[in-house]
Amino acid sequence: MKKKRFFLILIVLIALGGFMVYNYMYQDHRNIETETSQIEITAPYLLERFKTDDGSSLLNKTITVTGAITSIEEGAITLDESVYATFTENIPKVTANEKVAIKGRCIGYDELFEIVKLDQCTLIK
Amino acid sequence: MRTIIVLLIFCLAFVVTSVGQEKFATKTGEINFEASVPSFEEVKAENSNVSAVLEISTGNFAALALIKGFRFKVALMEEHFNENYIESSKYPKATFKGKIEDIDFSEFSGEQKFVIKGTFNLHGTDKYMEVPATISKKGEEMVVSAQFLLKPEEFNIKIPSIVSKKIADEVNVSAVFKLQKQ
Repeated sequence: MKKKRFFLILIVLIALGGFMVYNYMYQDHRNIETETSQIEITAPYLLERFKTDDGSSLLNKTITVTGAITSIEEGAITLDESVYATFTENIPKVTANEKVAIKGRCIGYDELFEIVKLDQCTLIK
Repeated sequence: MRTIIVLLIFCLAFVVTSVGQEKFATKTGEINFEASVPSFEEVKAENSNVSAVLEISTGNFAALALIKGFRFKVALMEEHFNENYIESSKYPKATFKGKIEDIDFSEFSGEQKFVIKGTFNLHGTDKYMEVPATISKKGEEMVVSAQFLLKPEEFNIKIPSIVSKKIADEVNVSAVFKLQKQ
């Protein structure tokens, strides 16, 4: 009887441990859409920070960027010719020159186009 | 007379630079890499936000990938890749600067194979490479695609022995850039 209970507890523990390891190994990706943004910043100023080498603290952070739309492409929009924001899902309906706020993950500064890139963006307003 | 000459030189210089600057570019190039080992979990990532520029007159080609833009299927793998191996906070980008030689874009059509000679910069380390690439032209679009192998050790990327069995020594990289006329 005692032995049986011991085995039962052992099995439960192993299952629990396995479950925890599995959860750790296969944890979900960050959901940028539901994360609160760490900073709100205008598009030209964000570019300025990266150009003056002051942007690395923003890497991989969820940030909100405001600015006017200067170009619209498939799956991406550009704000004030300084920030290139890509959307995972379809872009909401926006028009050129419209002032918007976008939340996304800052992935870095692209010196070829002199532009800061964000991914997994969502439109806030 | 003198002003006319000065003006002429100025105009000529302007014309030459504007012709010389004809280029094809993209901000949404794709780079995939895979370092899977059979019977272990696949080690594979994709970045579809890679920038690339091709200058027609010189054959200069440049590409830049932001490391944080590489997405893995497994979130923890992505975290380890960024924090432990490639150290993307310290080295946020990978670049390639090269030149396509023996190419005359004015008579270019269809699909041709070329070798792009240039330098990779990854993890803060430079490496010269000759990369075979295929270039095809479809209307106003120029498609550059390449497949090659990179070794992490050549870029000073250390992979701990515990996981080294699960990650291939040679990383298979494939890149596709659909360049639009600018």
